[in-house]
Amino acid sequence: MRNKNVAAALVLIALGVVYGYLTAGLPKRSLPDTPDPSFFPWIITACLLVLSLALLVQGLRAQRDAREAADTAGGLRAPTVFLTLFVVYVAALPFAGFVIASVPFFAALMWLYGERRWGWIGIVSVALPVILALAFRNGLHIPLPTGVLAGLLG
Amino acid sequence: MNPEILAGFSSASLPGSLVATAIGTVLGLIVGMIPGMTISTGIIVVLPLTFVLDPTLSIALLLGIYVGGMTGGSFSATLLNIPGTPSAAATTLDGYPMAQRGEAGRALSIAITASFVGGFFSFLCLYFIAPVLADVALQFRAADLFSVVFFGLTVICTFAARSPVKGLLSAVIGLAIVTVGQDPVMGTARFTFGNADMLSGVHFLTALIGLFAVPQLVDNMIAIARGETENRAGTRVGSVLPKLADLKAMRLPTAIGSVTGAFLGILPGAGGPIAAFISYDYAKRFSRNRDRFGKGCVEGIAAPESANNAVTGGALIPMMTLGIPGDPVTAILIGALLVHGLAPGPLLFMQRGDFAYTLIFSFMWANFFNLAIALASVRLLVKLLALPKALLMPTIALLCVIGSYALRNSFFDVWVMLGFGLLGIAMRHLDMPVVPLLLSLVLGRQLEEHMRVALTGSSGDVRIFFQSPFSILFLSLSVVSIVWSFASERRSGRVRSAPSS
Repeated sequence: MRNKNVAAALVLIALGVVYGYLTAGLPKRSLPDTPDPSFFPWIITACLLVLSLALLVQGLRAQRDAREAADTAGGLRAPTVFLTLFVVYVAALPFAGFVIASVPFFAALMWLYGERRWGWIGIVSVALPVILALAFRNGLHIPLPTGVLAGLLG
Repeated sequence: MNPEILAGFSSASLPGSLVATAIGTVLGLIVGMIPGMTISTGIIVVLPLTFVLDPTLSIALLLGIYVGGMTGGSFSATLLNIPGTPSAAATTLDGYPMAQRGEAGRALSIAITASFVGGFFSFLCLYFIAPVLADVALQFRAADLFSVVFFGLTVICTFAARSPVKGLLSAVIGLAIVTVGQDPVMGTARFTFGNADMLSGVHFLTALIGLFAVPQLVDNMIAIARGETENRAGTRVGSVLPKLADLKAMRLPTAIGSVTGAFLGILPGAGGPIAAFISYDYAKRFSRNRDRFGKGCVEGIAAPESANNAVTGGALIPMMTLGIPGDPVTAILIGALLVHGLAPGPLLFMQRGDFAYTLIFSFMWANFFNLAIALASVRLLVKLLALPKALLMPTIALLCVIGSYALRNSFFDVWVMLGFGLLGIAMRHLDMPVVPLLLSLVLGRQLEEHMRVALTGSSGDVRIFFQSPFSILFLSLSVVSIVWSFASERRSGRVRSAPSS
């Protein structure tokens, strides 16, 4: 399982099977001699499974030929940190509102992108979300979620 | 003259449209220039704006970014040896050596002028070819339309991926995602799990933001974590007015680049990077000074820069006439038009001919503005290369959230965007291209609809797809493109294994 193509192929085969199972459960509402709503998904299921098997074979062959080294896990740290922050931020948005949720998110990202001047981080991470929220609400008439600041920005 | 052409020209030449085109061009030059940002990212940044702007202004803004972005990429390619966009990669080969000789201004003037010639040539192609092609496309029936869309998808898989299996898989994943929601013919709910938000399916603009912007944000973060320092523009630019001798030397490579770029632009998926390298190669073959290539010669800058800008007009041809996007940017343009109820395709010329020509003439203006603004302000613009990523990237992250939320005022879309971001990262990790997936999201519903309508018309007889010459032509081309991509993969595999054996 060192080869990522093999792992991806197995995941895709599993997805193909699940997709096929769900397709089998689709309602049959069709006129005679005409394709029903599951017609196209069945074609996709077949393509997904055939191509995933092809990827599996390619992956297994590549493993036999080259025994390519597994990727280092070190490269996964930045995406994990970033996505965790992003998930927390999006989860907080409906309750905290755009401005309140964006300030710590923006500050954390500035730090992660290499900014170390805390004063500058503080000023920008407060000013930018406020400017964006006001610009979108007043300039473009796109209200962003206000959350706890509903009375102030709503 | 056709009144629709006049109406289109007038509409594109209104002060508001011209201002939008000019602003778009400036933004395009900036996003194209900054390494780590692409034209797609630039468009994502202004996407929320286009939801509220008039369609004429939206399209003028987006076309400005498209054209400006292609040229902007050459600035950092020349000054920093880092292409601002993938399409400018070939420009580094001669742009950077020329800048190193202290002739940065000359290199930039050649790049800007060649970009204009390539872009303007592609405007002429768009102006003359698109209406004719739209007329032909009007004769297409469901089976032909299915075959055209199918061809568009298979060609994208062929060009976008090094491995055809991965390219096709990416497209099939996109098609699977597009089946979520109501089916396009009977309106039956599919794969919605009773969730009302999923009934309308995944909006491809939301998917696009996730697929393109999120992996890019992560890539930049990885670069910072690895300790890669940001490049600052330190080279003096000097005068950027093109010299007569350079203009003479540019004639042949610019002609090669313009024709190659416009032709490859029409093919879905080929895009700027391929056109730029092919043009560079041809310009070198036809040049009397082949040994000067790679050392900072005029031809080596003019050919790729004219080619990547010529791609823009070429890519607009299938987008406008067949509704088939050739690259992520034209996919976004389709999305921006659909938001305003304007569906690109042959009917656009018939039902909204004035708007179709507005788009074409806005593209023309974008090329003129690109030349004027780039020449006038390149010395000022390159100072923005020093913009810190610590400010730029968090701002893009916020704009990704705003863009996906503002589309339908829905938090569901923000989660979908994030989900696609994760998918984009995983696909990048697997060396699987995201462009086929994105274009499947754009074309998937059409593909299914045309297929089912054709089969309904023939009472389920699949021979309907082999009865019209158009359908046979496009299906044959699809088979050729798939077979060709597998054959070339096999060939390149043999070439790779030969030295080791």
